[in-house]
Amino acid sequence: MTLAREKAVFSWAGYDDEAPPPVVEARDLARDYPFGAERVHALRGVTFAITEGEYIAIAGPSGCGKSTLLNLIGVIDHPTRGEVCIRGQNVGGMRDREATAFRLRNIGFVFQRFYLMPTLSARENVELPMAEAGIARVERAARARELLSYVGLEARERHRPAQLSGGEQQRVAIARALANRPAILLADEPTGELDAKTGAEIIGLFGRLNADGTTVIVVTHDEDLASSAHRKIHMRDGVIVPG
Amino acid sequence: MIVLLFTALGLVQQPAPRTIAIDERLAADAGISIGDRVIVSTRPNAKGGDTVVVSGIVKRGADPSEIARSEYKIRMHLDQLQSLAGYGDRVDRFAVATRDKAATESALAAINAAAFGFEAHRSRDIAVGTSKTFQVVSRFHKAIGLITIVASAIFLLCVMLLKVEERRRDVAALRLMGISRTTVVKAVVAEAALLALVGSALGIGIGWAASQFINWYYQGVYRTPLHFSVITADIVTLAVTLSLVLGIGAGLLASLRLVRTPPLALFGR
Amino acid sequence: MRFTLAWASLRRHGTRTLLAILGVAVAAAMLLDMVMMSTGMRESFRELLLSRGYQLRLAPKGTLPFDTDATMESASRITATLRTNPSIVTVSAVLGGTIHVPTGNRVVTSAALGVDPAVQGDYELLSGRDPVGSNSIAANDEFLAATGATTGDTLDVATGYDPQLRTYAGSMRLVLTGRVRFLYGAANQLATVMRLETLQKMGGADRTDDASLFMIRVRTDAEVEAARAWVELNIPDVSAISTATALAEVDKRLRYFRQLAVILGTVSLFVGFLLVTTLVTVSVNERIGEIAVMRALGVSKKHVVQQIVIEGVAISLAGAIGGLALGLVTAKYLNGILSSFPGLPSAIDFFLFQPKSAWTALGLLTISGIAAGVYPSFRAASLPIATTLREDAIA
Repeated sequence: MTLAREKAVFSWAGYDDEAPPPVVEARDLARDYPFGAERVHALRGVTFAITEGEYIAIAGPSGCGKSTLLNLIGVIDHPTRGEVCIRGQNVGGMRDREATAFRLRNIGFVFQRFYLMPTLSARENVELPMAEAGIARVERAARARELLSYVGLEARERHRPAQLSGGEQQRVAIARALANRPAILLADEPTGELDAKTGAEIIGLFGRLNADGTTVIVVTHDEDLASSAHRKIHMRDGVIVPG
Repeated sequence: MIVLLFTALGLVQQPAPRTIAIDERLAADAGISIGDRVIVSTRPNAKGGDTVVVSGIVKRGADPSEIARSEYKIRMHLDQLQSLAGYGDRVDRFAVATRDKAATESALAAINAAAFGFEAHRSRDIAVGTSKTFQVVSRFHKAIGLITIVASAIFLLCVMLLKVEERRRDVAALRLMGISRTTVVKAVVAEAALLALVGSALGIGIGWAASQFINWYYQGVYRTPLHFSVITADIVTLAVTLSLVLGIGAGLLASLRLVRTPPLALFGR
Repeated sequence: MRFTLAWASLRRHGTRTLLAILGVAVAAAMLLDMVMMSTGMRESFRELLLSRGYQLRLAPKGTLPFDTDATMESASRITATLRTNPSIVTVSAVLGGTIHVPTGNRVVTSAALGVDPAVQGDYELLSGRDPVGSNSIAANDEFLAATGATTGDTLDVATGYDPQLRTYAGSMRLVLTGRVRFLYGAANQLATVMRLETLQKMGGADRTDDASLFMIRVRTDAEVEAARAWVELNIPDVSAISTATALAEVDKRLRYFRQLAVILGTVSLFVGFLLVTTLVTVSVNERIGEIAVMRALGVSKKHVVQQIVIEGVAISLAGAIGGLALGLVTAKYLNGILSSFPGLPSAIDFFLFQPKSAWTALGLLTISGIAAGVYPSFRAASLPIATTLREDAIA
């Protein structure tokens, strides 16, 4: 698979080399959680922008609000205040059905614990978001094979998650996240459950994906992963702090 | 006591000296009270018949043979019935009271040896012979009960398996902490047994309440003092034993399967 | 993909799924039996009553046919009156009684019917000839087995027995002309049939013109209810019973079984529902993290619910299909028990299979399968995704 072809596969329309538009834009983003009688301020007003094709690492100590921020960008949570726009669309106030459809087409998720469907094969796992998007069986099978090949698992397409190593499972999860050609790929501690060598392979894969045009945002404690990103957003106590 | 099927009833014009007793069902349905005068006859709409006075209302006995029939019963003087039915001096049967079981047996043997033209039977044997309806119903209930037991057994087994399966992570944690397989199995089985026991106690309670309701309802429907549902010690023993055996069996099977699986696999790793 | 996921999920815990299907199968069998019982006996009795085309039955006032020993006097007068009604096409008078047949050193006691063989609607001839002659008798297999008699034999038959004198009254010598099956006979009942006049004659002076029952066939274009009303008006000594009245009486007598059918059917359905609900709920709880991830990936709430409902319905359907076969076997067994119910013709099927019964049971189970899956799946799919994922990660 050539680089040029991958660009075609993974980049999105409207790309402008001269002035790349912000693919993610957060303004005064805040998120509180009730905790008994009190409220926990997980995010206290965050403003930033991420342009298309960027590779961002969000770093910071545990409980600083990294994952909360990622959830808001991924449209699986709603902000208490402020707004978050993806490709110019305010996603913070979306209703459940709208948010679900938006995630399907625009967001790719990679989780620390892989979260593959244990009863499905690697290929079926990759096909799952495409099936939901209504892509025909033949087409989605072909694309799933293509994606598995991209992450180096063409020989493992029939294997179930339990038959794969941690690194392989995470690569299947990455292929699944790319299934519907998302605008951004979000990863929450993607190397958290992997050993150093496998983690390095995943870091390499993220680099390659970004090089091929995918916007990548990772939340991580992993210094190696954070260093591989183009830009780091440091967080502490729910706010962005200088690095 | 002689029992006659009551076949006709109407208001009368002439007073009659003889008295009869009627059962409570007839009294309620026909609106007859003590002191009322009625005509009794062995044929419907017959021109003749005897005019009698209702002197008593009798509570119905718990007779299974009558359950499917909505008959009425009246009790009258033997000679009047003999005359009314054209029986002459005939009777259908004699009831003989004996002192005890041995006396019953000897009386039975003596009567049957000496009697000409009739035969003596134990009351119990007659009761069995006349309660065919209930025998059939009883057989039917037993068959239904068997099916219910099979369904309950499968249900119990399924629930127990699910309960133990729910403990996958706890079992894995215990195993990783170094708790032995035997201890884990014992703990799971003890929990299953306790669950089965508590479930049985609850089931007996519900069963008792259901039994009370069934008796209340059907005694009303069939207007009989019969007990339709009785919870016996045997039934309780069967229910508790079955649920304990199934509970412990399911707990044992599932826990053995769990402890044989590597703890990390139980964690889904 | 929803079917793939549902199928994979069911296979993931094979033992559990199999047990649930088995449980549902037993519950479905019971449900089918109860649905069959609640409608079957009525339908079966209706078919039996109408099998010979007689729509009306006349019994002594206030009684049901052969419910008591009471008889109607002046049978010939009643028959003549009935024939004056142009909507009545056939009248079949029947007298019931008991006969005694001494065979060797014992006496066989049997039920006897006196009929007009030309218009009778009580039996079907299996072999030989109808008892058309005044000295003829036909009997069922139970009677033949008890007496050891065969067609062509001559029997000494009596209608009365005096235990004091040990003598028989109303004796006649009758020739056994045929083997018959009685349509309304009880299980294992010994029964015989002869000409009405023969049985009347054997009953003595009191019964020379008696009948226990009249069966009436009304013209097909005539109103049965109108004929019934006409009979009750013109012959006040009798009760005219239409098929609907007879069915209502059977309904009343067998109310216990219908209520039992409703109660057990409801309990079976509830047990099946509970089983599937338990299984689906546990299954959903185990997969709460997976469901949250599916939602995060963009799988709609509706599709998550559909997938889980498919699992519930699949268990219910598989159980129902197994239950159908099991239900038919148990129905046959239970029917065998109830066919000996006293006072009812053994030909009545308490458990009459009708496709409607199977569809009803299947429909109820499918609905319960859907209901069992909807709540847990909707609850799981509605959980906040971010919180669920965090809690699952902590767990």
